[in-house]
Amino acid sequence: MIVLKSARLRSLLRTALPFLIMPAIILVTALGWRAEHYALVSFVMVLLALLLFLSGFEKREIGTRRMILVSVMTALSVVGRLLPLLKPITALTVLSAMYLGSEAGFLVGALSAVLSNFVMGQGPWTPFQMFAWGIIGFLAGLLAKPLRRSRLLLFCYGAVSGLTYSLLLDVWTVVWTYGEFTLREYAAAAMTALPYTVLYAISNLLFLMLFAKPVGDKLHRIEVKYGL
Amino acid sequence: MRSFADMNPAAVTVHLLLTACITIFCMEPLLLGISLLCAVTFYLVKNGGANRGFHLFALGVPALFALLNPLWNQHGTTVLFVLNDRAVTAEALCYGAVTGIRLAAVLYWFRIFSELTDSEKLFYLFRFLSPRIAMVLSMAIRNLTLYREQMKKIRQSQKALGLYREAHLIDDIRGGVRIFSVLLTWALENGIITANSMTARGYGTGRRSSYTTFRWHMRDAVLLGVSLVLAAVCIRSAAAGAMHWEFYPVCDAPPHGLLWFAGVGAYLLLSLLPLIYEGKEALTWHRLRSRI
Repeated sequence: MIVLKSARLRSLLRTALPFLIMPAIILVTALGWRAEHYALVSFVMVLLALLLFLSGFEKREIGTRRMILVSVMTALSVVGRLLPLLKPITALTVLSAMYLGSEAGFLVGALSAVLSNFVMGQGPWTPFQMFAWGIIGFLAGLLAKPLRRSRLLLFCYGAVSGLTYSLLLDVWTVVWTYGEFTLREYAAAAMTALPYTVLYAISNLLFLMLFAKPVGDKLHRIEVKYGL
Repeated sequence: MRSFADMNPAAVTVHLLLTACITIFCMEPLLLGISLLCAVTFYLVKNGGANRGFHLFALGVPALFALLNPLWNQHGTTVLFVLNDRAVTAEALCYGAVTGIRLAAVLYWFRIFSELTDSEKLFYLFRFLSPRIAMVLSMAIRNLTLYREQMKKIRQSQKALGLYREAHLIDDIRGGVRIFSVLLTWALENGIITANSMTARGYGTGRRSSYTTFRWHMRDAVLLGVSLVLAAVCIRSAAAGAMHWEFYPVCDAPPHGLLWFAGVGAYLLLSLLPLIYEGKEALTWHRLRSRI
C-alpha cells in the first residue's frame, strides 16, 4: 500500500530526482514546450522538491523526541494566532529551526502550511506555501549559529523572509492567473499585493520580537534538559 | 447511499488532480467551460447554495481579472475603444475571459477536493509519501484541539489571578503572549512525555504494522483506471496542439479534427465522472427502495 516503504526505492528517488528528473523537466520545457505549460511545470517541480525533502526525512534517524517536538511546534504555530490577520507561522518556524535543526525547521514550515489551510482552505497554492515556508525554516536552521548569537540578525531574517515569502507567492499568482511568467505582469501582481507584503514583513518582525525571548529560552531549555 | 466521497481517497485525489491539471493545461474555451460547469454543478449538488462567501470569491476574483486584463494588456489587433490613450482590444478581452473561467474552474475543483478530503483522508494520502510524516501530521492535528482546550484553561486561570486584562490592545497582546508562553512550556513537556512513552512501547524499533480505514474495491480501481485513460486521451490531444487557441494577434481556433473531438469528449466524461457516479448511486437507491 505504501509506495515509498521500500528503502531502495526511496534512495533511488533521492538520487534520480535532483540529478535526472528535475533537470530533464526543465530542459524539455525550455526547449520544446509553449509558455502555457509554466503553471503545470512549476506545480510538478514544487511537488517533486517536496517529495525529495520528505523522502529524505523518512530515511534519516531524527529521533522520536525531535519528531514529536516538530508536531508540537506545528500545532502551536497554528494555534498561536493572537491577532487577527497575522500569522505567527514564519516566526515559530524560524525559532524551531534555530533550536531543533534545519530538517525540523523545514517540516514545521511545510506542515504548518497544510494544517493552517485546513482552516483557511486548501488549494493549488498549498504546495507553494509548503515549499516557501519549508525553505525559510531550512535556511534558518543552516544559519542557526549566527541567528542565535545576534537578535538584530534574527529580526532582519524575519523581515526578509516575510518579503521573500510574499514575492514567492506572487510568482504563483502570476503563473496561475496568466499561465505564463512575464516580468511586467509579475510587477503588477507584486504592486497589487504590496500592502499585504508590508503587513506580512511587519507581522513577522512583530511576532519574532514577541516570541524570540520566551520561545527561544524554552526551546533552549528543552534542548539542554533532554540533550537533543 | 454511497457518494463520490466514499471512494478510496487515493483514487478520488488522482481523479480531481487530473481534472484540475488538464484545466490549467488547455487553452480551449469549450473545455474550460465544461470544466467550470461540471465543477460548479457538483459543488452545488453536494453543498447547496450554503457557502455564499466562497462562490463570491471563486467567481468574483476571476471576473475582476477578466475585466482588468484588457486594461493592462495591449496585445491584439481589433481595437474596441480607447481609454486613457490605451487601446482596449477584443482579443485581450477574450483572453481575460478565458483565463478567468480557467481560474474559477481550478478554484472550484480544489474546493471540491478539500470538501471531500477530511484530515483522516489526508493522513491516509500522506502515508503514500512517508509514514513518519503522516504520523507527525496526525499528531499535530490532534494537538490543535488539545491546545485550544488548554489555552482556554490557562486564560481562565490567568483571569482568576488578575493577570489578564483586555483594557486595550497592548495589554491584550501582552496577555496573549503570556498565555502562549505558558501553553508552550506545557506543550513541550507534554510532547517529551509522549515521546518517552512511545519509546518505552517500542516505537521506531522495528517494522510497524499498520491499519487503514480505506480499502481498495473494484469501484476504486475502475475510477482510477477510467480517469487515467480519459486523462491520457486529453493529454495526447493537447500535446498535439489540437486544443490550443491563439489569442494574439487575432483569436485563432485550431481546426476541429478527430483529435479535438477526442480530447473534448474525454474531458467531458472525466469531469462528469463524479456526477455520473452519484447519479448512478441515487438511481440504484430509488430502484431498490421502490421494490421493497
